[in-house]
Amino acid sequence: MRNIRLKHVNKAFGDDVILENLSLTIPGGSFFALLGPSGSGKTTLLRLIAGFETVDSGEIYIGDHNITHIPINKRNINTVFQHYALFPHMNVFENVAYGLVVKGIAKGIIEQKVRRTLKKVHLERHIYKPIQRLSGGQQQRVALARAIINEPDVLLLDEPLAALDLKLRERMLVELIDLQSELKTTFVYVTHDQFEALTVADYMAIMNYDGEIEQVGTPKDIYEFPISSFVAKFVGSTNIFKGVLQEKNGGFTVEVPELGCFEVAMSKRRKFDIASTLLMSLRPEKIEINKKEQEGFANHLTGTVEAIIYYGRSTQYTVKLKNGFKVSVFEQNEEHFPHEVIDYDDVVHLYWQKENVVLLER
Amino acid sequence: MNRDINNTEVSKNVSFFMALPAFVWLLIFLYIPLGVIVALSFIRKSVVSIWPDFTWAHYLTFFDSLYYSVIVRSLTLSIITTAVCLLCAYPIAYFLALHAQKWKNVLLYLLALPFGVNFVILSYAWFFLLEKNGFINNILTSLGIISSPLQLLNTQFAIYVGMIYCYLPFMVLPIYAVLEKLDIRLIDASLDLGATRFTTFWRVVFPQSIPGVSTGFFMVFIPSFGEYVIPTLMGGGKFMYVGSLISHYFSVLRNLPLGSAFTVASSMVLLIVALFFYWRFRRMVS
Amino acid sequence: MTRRWSQYTLPFFIALMYIFLYAPIVVLIIFSFNKSVSLFKWSGASLHWYNQAWQDDTMWIALRNSLVVSFCAVALSLIMGLMLVYYGRSFLKKIFFFFYGALIVPEIVLAVGLLSLFSFLSVPLGFTTLIAGHTILGLSYTVPILYARFNELENELTEASLDLGASTGQTFYKVILPLLAPSMVASGLLVFIVSLDDFIIAFFSASPSTQTLPLYIFSVIRSGDSQVITALSVILLAAGSLLILLLSSFKLKKLFSFGD
Repeated sequence: MRNIRLKHVNKAFGDDVILENLSLTIPGGSFFALLGPSGSGKTTLLRLIAGFETVDSGEIYIGDHNITHIPINKRNINTVFQHYALFPHMNVFENVAYGLVVKGIAKGIIEQKVRRTLKKVHLERHIYKPIQRLSGGQQQRVALARAIINEPDVLLLDEPLAALDLKLRERMLVELIDLQSELKTTFVYVTHDQFEALTVADYMAIMNYDGEIEQVGTPKDIYEFPISSFVAKFVGSTNIFKGVLQEKNGGFTVEVPELGCFEVAMSKRRKFDIASTLLMSLRPEKIEINKKEQEGFANHLTGTVEAIIYYGRSTQYTVKLKNGFKVSVFEQNEEHFPHEVIDYDDVVHLYWQKENVVLLER
Repeated sequence: MNRDINNTEVSKNVSFFMALPAFVWLLIFLYIPLGVIVALSFIRKSVVSIWPDFTWAHYLTFFDSLYYSVIVRSLTLSIITTAVCLLCAYPIAYFLALHAQKWKNVLLYLLALPFGVNFVILSYAWFFLLEKNGFINNILTSLGIISSPLQLLNTQFAIYVGMIYCYLPFMVLPIYAVLEKLDIRLIDASLDLGATRFTTFWRVVFPQSIPGVSTGFFMVFIPSFGEYVIPTLMGGGKFMYVGSLISHYFSVLRNLPLGSAFTVASSMVLLIVALFFYWRFRRMVS
Repeated sequence: MTRRWSQYTLPFFIALMYIFLYAPIVVLIIFSFNKSVSLFKWSGASLHWYNQAWQDDTMWIALRNSLVVSFCAVALSLIMGLMLVYYGRSFLKKIFFFFYGALIVPEIVLAVGLLSLFSFLSVPLGFTTLIAGHTILGLSYTVPILYARFNELENELTEASLDLGASTGQTFYKVILPLLAPSMVASGLLVFIVSLDDFIIAFFSASPSTQTLPLYIFSVIRSGDSQVITALSVILLAAGSLLILLLSSFKLKKLFSFGD
């Protein structure tokens, strides 16, 4: 399977600049997620690849093939629309067969392929049903079948699970992963839901409000080593501390006004200058919360518990520090009967390892 | 979002030409005739020579009170017809949209039915009722309410009855269309917050129906101004309205320039009044 | 108090209105079966006038003319309207007001305009002028209705079709047309009724040889109250109500909201 490459793509609608000088390579055969908030231009990007919009300038390649000016119906790319866009006057069979019918393929072959594809999405029993009689999840799968039956180079999915309820969504995500592994087609999946993206993606790109790509990488890379506070805050949640980098006793510390000095580890990926101002990103699950003081931790903060939210699997605490700053902490509820119960207004101690902090420029 | 189908192999030029016929048709058979009328209104003689001489003379004749009164009479007709239609139509639309569950389809059908009948015939139906020897007079006489038959036909009264009769459905349907789409939960919310039914109507239902009222208003007001058939049939040709006067100029007198000038003048009046109402409606909505 | 209003007063008013709407029609129907020539004194039931109406040649010619003109007007306004709506999407939004002109101009102005144009160009009046005028009326119905319906159709459907590899032509025949069909039938029916009903344009742009049905009826009424007209009225009433029945199966109320 071939790569998708966007080179220096610009797209504006009137005075509204959506994408500026955007370049991206999507590895062929991967499940690629395009994650970003509403209005970040991710849907526009998808539509450019599909051909529904044309670039103002720049180029789009599939492998070595320049598809920038090829019309929609001549690209070997298919789309699964957010609201499915199933043809209301056709039944399941006719909808799924559409792509083959318009290419003039023989009826016998069409029937065979439709049955086979419907089996892949577990809809063989509904083959002649009018689409109005299908549930949301079933319609979703018809849309999927209609697209993949054409064996495209690339399958584009525009927030396809947005209209489904949670349990159904979780199940569909797994089905999509299995489908992609089986077909080995490049999937480009657009979503604003980071949970979805982290679940399905082999690789992800995060887009910000200005239509720029902040970071591209594997889900783990992006989650553990975000490149900016935007990424750190958008994917998962985090606590951000601003301070000045110092060198001390052979190691590094960040001095945060009013809170103190904290030990940090300098990663090999990025280098920072001494005495520069930078940000520390500390994820809530990496903090330990205790009512009693502990030994052996380099980094320590004290505060009072202001809010407690129970999530079943975990509990989130909001701890107010002496300077008014609020820190978010996640504790997994490992024990049925916790030996230490933390309550509102309790004084608590927060600890973390220096390796679990990510240093950010912005 | 770009919804153009021009993103495919159909070139922009082909699209343009395919869409053109309707445009051209309208140009040739609507806007050019209008232009011809305007042009004719400035020409002195009835016969159009190679180099016609232009004059304002025709327009000046209209400051004569006779023609003024015709326009005013038509305006009065339009406004009163529209107002009465509105007052009668709104309750009907309201009832159909919000109260008549079981009968809704039947009533709607009955309402629309006269629309499908040739309205010359509908006017004729009123003859029956209103003639000196007609149905109403017969009934009233036999019941002893009156001693001699009333002159109902060939009166202004007959004209108004005819107009309201013919234009009522045009006012009901747009209002109905809007009220039908009204979110009933808004009424529930208003009552929940303590408003009376009347206040709910005035503050919640009515404002939302204004677009429908506006559509209905213009669907009645504008055509009724130039109406020819109803005043002629029901009024026996005794009263001059804009429609009958225009017809008089063009068919009887065959004085095209004068007729054109009158047409333009009365259209201008209509336009101004209509724009005034349009502006008021816009103010009401925003 | 307020409950009484909606429970009794309102329905009573509505009933009154409907009586007002149907009184002339009912009376007309009853008297069409009247045996005597006199219109207003009942003298027994008879189908005599229906017979006479059936045998009136002029009436048949007028009917034929009306039907020819109406079918042409319907065909032209549907085809041109459809083409405009489908191909002119990009610039239709900007020039849509252009089409409102046909709705705003009073019919009599349009009629005399056509008359003037054709006299000026020395074009003989007749079928062509009638069809031209009626098509204008027709376009002012088909374009807004088709445009509104076309907009309603998910834009995604066109994109989905193209995305799956169909050409614009295929997209049109397989997706757009089937979904637009009900609106086309409804607006076509509407134009048919309006055209059949039209008096003003026919009055001004028709020649003596192209009399349409409304003109015929008008002349007979004017000339001498022929009882035949009564019978004819009832026939047309029946025909008209059938048309409306057809039309109402296509959601009549939707059509009247296009002007909003």
